[in-house]
Amino acid sequence: MADFSPGLEGVVAAETAVSEVDGANGRLIYRGGYLIEDLVPVVSYEEVAYLLWNGELPNEKELDALRQQMASARALNKSARGTLTAMDPATDPMDTLRTVVSAQGAAKSLMKPTLEEAVALTAVFPTIVGAIQRRRQGKEIVEPRADLGHSANLLWMMTGEEPSAEKVHWVDSYLVLLADHGLNASTFAARVVASTGSDLTSCVVGAIATLKGPAHGGATLAARTMLDKIGSADNAEKWLTEAHARHERFSGFGHRVYRTYDPRAKILREMAQSANPELAKTAGRTEEVALRILHEAHPDRPNATNVDFWASVVLTGAGIPKELFTTIFATSRVAGWTAHVLESMSDLRLIRPASRWVGPQPGKKPLQLTKR
Amino acid sequence: MSSSYVPGLEGVVASQTAISMVDGENGRLVYQGYVIADLAEQMSFEEVAFLLWEGRLPNRSELDALSLELTNHRTLTQAANVTLDALPMDTDPMDVLRSVVSVQSVEHKLAKPTVPLAIHATASFPTILAMFFRRQNGLAPLKPRADLGHAANYLYMMNGKEASPEIVRALNTYLVLLADHGMNASTFTARVIASTESDLGSSLVGAIGALKGPAHGGAPSAVIEQLEIIGAADDAEKHMREMRRRKEKFMGFGHRVYRVYDPRAKILKEMCRRMNPKFYELAERVEEIALRILHEEHPERPQSTNVEFYSAGVLQAIGLPKEYFTPTFAAARVAGWSAHVLEQAGHNRIIRPQSEYIGPEPRKPIPLGERS
Repeated sequence: MADFSPGLEGVVAAETAVSEVDGANGRLIYRGGYLIEDLVPVVSYEEVAYLLWNGELPNEKELDALRQQMASARALNKSARGTLTAMDPATDPMDTLRTVVSAQGAAKSLMKPTLEEAVALTAVFPTIVGAIQRRRQGKEIVEPRADLGHSANLLWMMTGEEPSAEKVHWVDSYLVLLADHGLNASTFAARVVASTGSDLTSCVVGAIATLKGPAHGGATLAARTMLDKIGSADNAEKWLTEAHARHERFSGFGHRVYRTYDPRAKILREMAQSANPELAKTAGRTEEVALRILHEAHPDRPNATNVDFWASVVLTGAGIPKELFTTIFATSRVAGWTAHVLESMSDLRLIRPASRWVGPQPGKKPLQLTKR
Repeated sequence: MSSSYVPGLEGVVASQTAISMVDGENGRLVYQGYVIADLAEQMSFEEVAFLLWEGRLPNRSELDALSLELTNHRTLTQAANVTLDALPMDTDPMDVLRSVVSVQSVEHKLAKPTVPLAIHATASFPTILAMFFRRQNGLAPLKPRADLGHAANYLYMMNGKEASPEIVRALNTYLVLLADHGMNASTFTARVIASTESDLGSSLVGAIGALKGPAHGGAPSAVIEQLEIIGAADDAEKHMREMRRRKEKFMGFGHRVYRVYDPRAKILKEMCRRMNPKFYELAERVEEIALRILHEEHPERPQSTNVEFYSAGVLQAIGLPKEYFTPTFAAARVAGWSAHVLEQAGHNRIIRPQSEYIGPEPRKPIPLGERS
């Protein structure tokens, strides 16, 4: 039996062609061999989803077909609508998303994951996220618009207003950047669920449940909350020094895989300057001070700004309330989750690791209730 | 430091645990030091749940307090009731369970997993299943009965009458036997989710999704279906050999861990003999033939009747419809899932393995208009 590697760090749990995190060189490679920085300037989220699912970028005809397919799959079914309206609008948005996706995918009999289902599931996320935001504000739910692309429709359903081209660009770039990321915890959870022969909805629901954790998808919200506490560029030095003295973790810093600057963070940092100049200024100063403090404390560790840090600024600039950040992350990552599940179908093998017993010596006899 | 790819993580130690140990070599299942045979027919499910959560058997007053806490949480929230009614009548009960547990456990603010939350979740499973069962059958829902224990109340809420002591004991033993089983796929899913510091409800919802897969918990109903087909054949052995020629699997055989007879299957087999002679007569004959054929095909593999084979006969004798076999498995395993989540949360490290990239080398994307 192998050694115990806490957190399965360094253990290879899957072979994949969907994406590769090349931590040593700071590269994120999407299916087909494309570097993330080459994709962001030229492709939409729909194209990236197509790429992750099919292994190649779509031509114009294929892209049109996908857009149409997605636009026609945006409506919630009766179970999902009933469930959504039953929920308290103040519920944690990730819990609402988890529940409504579960209800939307509730089926009569077990079905093998299909590409068609992956497309439909991905298409419905903005509808749910839009409805969550409208209900939080006590406003009417906005119907989806078939003439809008994925990101524009997402913003439309959240606000009831046609978004500016800039906001659509920021959101769409974010969705492209976050669509997949190797065997992260939520993707791994989706693959574990898939490995039992379960259905696609179960995989995606498990992934949403995983992404909710502050150590995973919740980190973007935590980064923004920290920036709110810092308040201004001038306060960064003082706040971070005090926080460090209290042994508080800096949100938005640290990643298990990257040894250099996260390539996604680099793109988002650039975008943040125009998306929200004020917050970007605070963030820029915060990053500078935080990296200095972290380097002084741990000179051996690599430069560590992560994607969540700068994503929090860009999403803020796009007008997304911070409470919904994790659901937007999920709206992006669902393409990757489903691509991984579909990939794993070709060689399905139950993921069932071992555990090491650290309990009492087996064989002790239970005492009768009255003698305990 | 990356090791080589281990398909299915077979033999890879993913966690240290003191909750249960599957000793495959010696055919032992151990809960917190107690061998399953010493617990199965002596302990109530409530006592075993306490054992899994707290690491020791309860004394009388602790057991009374736990029983009271369980009975006080057998009702569903209003949102859960609405969701239950919004799902189509013919929905797979596992999808109902996944969706209603999701809505039942929503929160406004992220809460850390606790024993009380584990108790509340465990209390709700039988209610969800019984309410949906009655709705499917056009029967009015029943209020839980505070004077009945966990197993007895489940049967009462399903059937509208008190079950005989023998039937209650049998269900109780089933629940005890299935309450935990090392690092199985659904428990591992629950731990992956917990490792991101997500909430208990999220872990349970993910685990339900994993248990649903036929390679994990989704097979006991298939055992009955297959036995019915084999039982109807003139010559069982001839029919079964034909099945193997068609590459069909024998349901209820094979396990990754046990090298000798599964200790749970042994207990269930004896219960089945007593309670369901008709099933037993056929099942025993089919088991003998299946093991003989499997041995001829792979003489090196161990004897492999698994827990699902005879649990199908026991659950049938208890009077549960076969669509409710896997959900009843979930109603047992929720105790183990939540115990593992509590343990994971106690010494947490995010579970984030690596993947091995098998896609093409990096290349540049072609603009949309130029793609073939």
